[in-house]
Amino acid sequence: MRHRLLLLLYLAAVLTITSLHDPVLLAALLPVAFLLAGRDLIDLAWRALAAMLIFNSVISISYAVIAGLRGEFAGGYLILINLRVYLLTFLTFLLARKVNLFSALSFSRTLSTLLSLASSQIQAFRRLFGEFNQALISRSPVRPGPRDLYRHAAVTGSLFLRRALNDMTDISQAMRSRGFFINSD
Amino acid sequence: MIELTGINHSYRKNRSGLRDINLTIEAGESVVLLGANGTGKSSLLKIINGLIFPASGRYLFEGEPVTKRSCRRADFVREFRQSVVLLFQNPDAMIFNPTVFDEIAFGPRQLGLQDVDDKVRHWAHLLDLEHYLDRPPFQLSSGEKQRLCLAALLILDPRVLLLDEPTSYLDPGTTGWLVDFLRGLELTTISSTHNLSLAPELGRRTVLLSRDRSVAYDGPTDELLADRELLKTAGLTHIHGHEHDGVEHRHYHTHDWD
Repeated sequence: MRHRLLLLLYLAAVLTITSLHDPVLLAALLPVAFLLAGRDLIDLAWRALAAMLIFNSVISISYAVIAGLRGEFAGGYLILINLRVYLLTFLTFLLARKVNLFSALSFSRTLSTLLSLASSQIQAFRRLFGEFNQALISRSPVRPGPRDLYRHAAVTGSLFLRRALNDMTDISQAMRSRGFFINSD
Repeated sequence: MIELTGINHSYRKNRSGLRDINLTIEAGESVVLLGANGTGKSSLLKIINGLIFPASGRYLFEGEPVTKRSCRRADFVREFRQSVVLLFQNPDAMIFNPTVFDEIAFGPRQLGLQDVDDKVRHWAHLLDLEHYLDRPPFQLSSGEKQRLCLAALLILDPRVLLLDEPTSYLDPGTTGWLVDFLRGLELTTISSTHNLSLAPELGRRTVLLSRDRSVAYDGPTDELLADRELLKTAGLTHIHGHEHDGVEHRHYHTHDWD
């Protein structure tokens, strides 16, 4: 019950954060979120920052350049977007750390199954990603240069995408074969 | 050449992993790492390749310790990664260059070696890849990818070739080809497998990893294959019961044993 309640609170927080358009209010929510993290604060704060840093930097810089050239630059908007993404990322990491999703979703067979599938896929891809990285290290007598790293990332990404699509086909066929969609047909 | 003393390793705390592994492998030996799934064969190969590091114990290659610290030293890594190479179980993990040619040339180009072109063509010829040099590697079949990975490793002229379940993606014909090819190489090989019929083809000496991830046997392959009780304990064979003309009959059985 506790986990289900925490999940509901998280969903309510996501709705609230996405509907707030005042950077000051969002900034005020940040210490509240930090308090909820307790001992995990520093670890989660860094993880959330690392997760959004590259993507948000690219978006923010692109926005700043284009809006600046058009004379429409709005600093408040930039702060709002970055604060919102950071808060959502932080809360999602907090959810993953504090809430047992299997227990929270146990009321629905469909949601539990989907969560199991997603978890097993995450584990499989995490293992595969480690394997690919080790293979690059193993094959490199000299530290790989930016071009090699870029190629490696591109090939790994496209292979993972193909693999995910294949896996999804297999999984949906296996689920159909085991009667999972029988009530929805 | 390779000396492992008291190696213990686990991926996660409080989980069992490799236990007290002691191995010495001399130059020119062909050693088989035999064990059921999950006995730590891949982990041991990755330790020998300096990709993961044991929680305790010592690993010496040519008398030099292989540690996290030494693997951060550019001079050591340059020499070590050229000398000890690993053929991963999944060849896709090793392939990331735009063409077969670039894939084979990756290592020598990194090292700034001379005559890369000639070397690539030489290994492509030996591994029957010369007609694919301009093709993207991902278009190749599993067997061709395996040959490509071998070419990309052997072009470095390594002293130790580690093979992690080298035949798991191959059909019987390509498996036979690979076994013959490996036999012709004059270097130290350590191959992992759980295939009993393949073990004697891959090496005269076998190290058997038991279910508790320790060394249960280290000696001649043919002697191990004769010890059916030990193979059963290690999860590589089982006792099979069936009936002949109403009489129950039980014997040791494995599905890959000739």
